[in-house]
Amino acid sequence: MKKRRLVSLVTAAAMVSGLAACGGGGGSNETAAAGGAAPSGTTAAESVEAAEGQTVLKWSIWDKDLTAYYQPLVEEFEKQNPDLKIEMVDLGSSDYQTVLGTQLTGSGSDFDIVTIKDVPGYATLVNKGVLEPLDEYIAADNVDLGAYKGLTDQIAVDGKLYELPFRSDFWVLYYNKDVFDAAGVPYPTNDMTFEDYDALARQLTVDTPGQEVYGAHYHTWRSAVQLFGILDGKNTILDGNYDFLKPYYEMALAEQEDGVCQDYATLKTSNLHYSGAFSQGNVAMMNMGTWFISTLIEKIKSGEYTDCANWGIAKYPHAEGVEPGSTLATITALSIPANAPHKDAAWKFVKFVCGEEGAKILAGTGNIPALMSDDIAGMISAMEGFPADESNTKALQTANLYLEMPVSSKSSEIEIVLNEAHDNIMTGNSTIDEGIADMNEKVGAILAQ
Amino acid sequence: MGKTKTIDPAVVQKKLSVLEPQLERLQQQAEEETDLKKKLKLGRQADRMRDKIRQAKTGERFSRQAKRDLVAYSFIAPNFIGFAVFTLGPVIFAFVLAFLKWDGNNAMEFAGLNNFALMVGNKRFLAALRNTVIYCVATVPFTLAVALALAVLLNQKIKGRNFFRTVSFFPYVASLVAVAAVWNMLFSPAKSGPVNMILYNLGMAAKSLPKWSADKNWVMFTVVFFSVWKNMGYYMVIYLAGLQGINGELYEACGLDGANTWQRFWYITLPQLRPTTFFVTIILTINCFKVYDIVYMLAGGNTGVLNESAIVLVYHIYEEAFRNWNLGYASAVAMVLFLMVLAITLVQFRGEKKYSA
Repeated sequence: MKKRRLVSLVTAAAMVSGLAACGGGGGSNETAAAGGAAPSGTTAAESVEAAEGQTVLKWSIWDKDLTAYYQPLVEEFEKQNPDLKIEMVDLGSSDYQTVLGTQLTGSGSDFDIVTIKDVPGYATLVNKGVLEPLDEYIAADNVDLGAYKGLTDQIAVDGKLYELPFRSDFWVLYYNKDVFDAAGVPYPTNDMTFEDYDALARQLTVDTPGQEVYGAHYHTWRSAVQLFGILDGKNTILDGNYDFLKPYYEMALAEQEDGVCQDYATLKTSNLHYSGAFSQGNVAMMNMGTWFISTLIEKIKSGEYTDCANWGIAKYPHAEGVEPGSTLATITALSIPANAPHKDAAWKFVKFVCGEEGAKILAGTGNIPALMSDDIAGMISAMEGFPADESNTKALQTANLYLEMPVSSKSSEIEIVLNEAHDNIMTGNSTIDEGIADMNEKVGAILAQ
Repeated sequence: MGKTKTIDPAVVQKKLSVLEPQLERLQQQAEEETDLKKKLKLGRQADRMRDKIRQAKTGERFSRQAKRDLVAYSFIAPNFIGFAVFTLGPVIFAFVLAFLKWDGNNAMEFAGLNNFALMVGNKRFLAALRNTVIYCVATVPFTLAVALALAVLLNQKIKGRNFFRTVSFFPYVASLVAVAAVWNMLFSPAKSGPVNMILYNLGMAAKSLPKWSADKNWVMFTVVFFSVWKNMGYYMVIYLAGLQGINGELYEACGLDGANTWQRFWYITLPQLRPTTFFVTIILTINCFKVYDIVYMLAGGNTGVLNESAIVLVYHIYEEAFRNWNLGYASAVAMVLFLMVLAITLVQFRGEKKYSA
């Protein structure tokens, strides 16, 4: 009898502990990733506060170890606000927006501040109604939105702003000076039309097997080719009619045909990263976002990249009659979830990171803050490892910024269609006309819903 | 549990006066009964009655049987609670969700059959359905044939048999991500890709070389080819077990009758392996319907978005649920997948009875 009672007691205990382990599983992963004895629930957070007199704010980020500015931002903020503590939670970079969306689904999350990686992800979260409108905070603190050069207008949804950008990268043309020197061709200028650019790329191309030099390089993202088309400001990527993309696809496909750039299909299946392509030293020019600057500086300094140590940047090529410096922009922003436990403290942090002080810290690490002034542009070009000539600093001045994907409740659905058509055109699975017709038809159907 | 209460003799007497005549009646019936099955049943009923009488006499709260049951349930409980919370609950919820419109945050709306109607007009769903079926129809027979051929070869006494068995099993245990990367390198779409280089040297024009997983007409072929190679080892092992279960006397007998190798295979090996083949076909078909990782790795590219030429049902469910947050619609698609797998499983149940009998 005794034995049996013991058995049932043990099983009961096993049951309870098994349940507890399962129930706590979801939360404990994150806190483990954040490091330290961080609290996993709001109630636990309350008790930590009481003990130390501090409020702990949970901030969702990605690539904690690869991004230079998180730590300095947090340190400076905590120094200024001794009563607040920031706990960073790394959700991983590749599917960050999906994971974040899952985290904010339901009412169980206790994030105070979330980073928003891209516009479709932002639109999805706004649709789901999980973000707090920031307009009241902005009005209360008299934040000057004019300093964001119109970016905040482009991300307003129904007149309300749900995120504030702190990083605004834009696309520039990277070039490898060694390749130009070897060919005896002058470097790209800050004022090139697409014809100039195409001609220059062709001039630099060498197609001797084994010693190929590619005049241009396009990463497999659709932005790299497709969005040349929107830089004249006449069309947007949400129009539903994409006939205007034809000349740009013709240029890219002709270059691919003639070996001026590497074959899209090969790049896709080999998953070659753009940094890998550029650092091999056989690419003359590559269009890419300014986020690549800090990577380049760092990897050249550490000796990892040796074949592209003499690099430079120039303004994006532009269509005939368009002001040079018109380029694509992509923003990284901060939001406060609708059920954040400490909204006012979170706003303090958002204001700090997106404001002047945060901008300086970002610029100090070679990243482009959303709040860009001449001072800050000067800070970036003064960085050790940034190319010295005047023209490179000038390349950081932009005239018109167009978002890679404007805000729309349908942007994530449209994104899929555009990606697929881009892929089909670039791999030769469909002709340019077929691809464009496909986009017109499918995006039209989405817009008509 | 099991604590004795104070026994009131009057109550016990009252209970016994009801129970004891019942027991006697049962015993009598059992003795008279001639049908063995019915007799056993009555015996069991009598046992239960005796237990009740004993319980009444001692005043225990639970009968012996109830105690035994409780202990048994407590052993099942840890596993079952986990299953109920993490599998059964969500499965039932998914059934309900299929008839709702929900994005995970805003209020749920009843959608009736609308989610199912949406599928008909959704090009990505139709493409996913088509690709999944093509994948199954192509993968299952090829994998079976290759696995059987390998098993028959490696069942013979040849030198280095264990080495070759290990080699054929290797793709199955190797990491999918790593192997898919190597595969994409071998089947590089460029002219300089190893496989394309061979085709080129065999005289194929550079223009018409297939672009493998980047080519919309070749991508499913590449995926099927890859999964046959990846899974053949596993099914080969199952076939080897089947082959070793065949009675050697059968081969001896047909040897005496003068059958050649082909006849031995056709009239003995194949029929004897029928239960194995049946089992493998079913498992393989179900697994094929659930395919996701292979396609994602081979054709996903940098963005991880599958095109209509390569999309499969499970991926469609994922993208609708967690990219577009149409949880109701995604559940409806999951129901369709569930029904297809259910149909195959029913066939399997029926077949199992046939072969086990």
